[in-house]
Amino acid sequence: MTERSALNGKDMTCEEFQRQLPELFESGVDLESAPHLRTCENCAALVRDLQYIAAQAKLLLPIKDPSPAVWQKIRRTLDDEQDKQGSAAGERP
Amino acid sequence: MEAADNIAPVPGKESLGNATAQGANQHVRRNPPIAGEAEAIAKAQSGDAQAFEILYSLHKRRGYSLCLRMLGNVAEAEDLTQEAFLQLFRKIGTFRGDSAFSTWLHRLAVNVVLMHLRKKGLPQISLEEALEPSQEDGPRKDLGARDLTLSGSLDRVTLERAVENLPPGYRLVFVLHDVEGYEHNEIAGMLECSIGNSKSQLHKARMKLRDLLRSGQRKEAAL
Repeated sequence: MTERSALNGKDMTCEEFQRQLPELFESGVDLESAPHLRTCENCAALVRDLQYIAAQAKLLLPIKDPSPAVWQKIRRTLDDEQDKQGSAAGERP
Repeated sequence: MEAADNIAPVPGKESLGNATAQGANQHVRRNPPIAGEAEAIAKAQSGDAQAFEILYSLHKRRGYSLCLRMLGNVAEAEDLTQEAFLQLFRKIGTFRGDSAFSTWLHRLAVNVVLMHLRKKGLPQISLEEALEPSQEDGPRKDLGARDLTLSGSLDRVTLERAVENLPPGYRLVFVLHDVEGYEHNEIAGMLECSIGNSKSQLHKARMKLRDLLRSGQRKEAAL
């Protein structure tokens, strides 16, 4: 049986609608035009929340710094590598 | 560790991994030119040790935040931030400015983290497990949704905390797609899963986040 499309399927159940939701979200269609949402407050709230979460996630900015120990280890490693390169160059005939 | 080197590189002069330029380009809005960066890059390419420190200072927050969000673990995030910057500095001579320096670092950090996770195997297991039918796949009744919608009530700290509490596989796809802006085809390539799986994981991640956030609201309301 072919599943009805959430965008034109009338009298769709919550199960049918939510099964199509991942694909609908990523397709970029206007979900507010889905007939099911006009009559189902639960699914409408679900869609609103998921859209809200996705929108808020885009606003998350980098806010945390690594501890100073990270740079100290990087510095030490780079210095060691440079020393080894210098030694290797000095040993060459 | 040469994590990024073990991944098939993107064709191009600055290819350091398989996080593609297409995804990274979406972050241009977050990567405005940084004062002093170009000069520091040129000096670092000449071996100026102080220039490395300047570049690290300019980009440490971005690199570390990415690692931390993907991993959800401070110690691992610091180790991989260190690894990403070391690889970056070792290869800085090959950077020719075809993309933003921060984009280059971003791609490298993503690949370093993914290689680490592949070795651990955790998110991959979670991705496969999530393909199995579960109770979570059923429709949500969400009784009481009317008075418990999230819209307008979510602050950044709460969302960050909820993201940290996502299962590793969900968190990875959510961070890559919703926070970092990668497309599903790119994520599928990076995580070696199908595009459908990436979409499905993202949806489940958002659903899980909704549950986490709403249960937090309920706890607050009960106090």
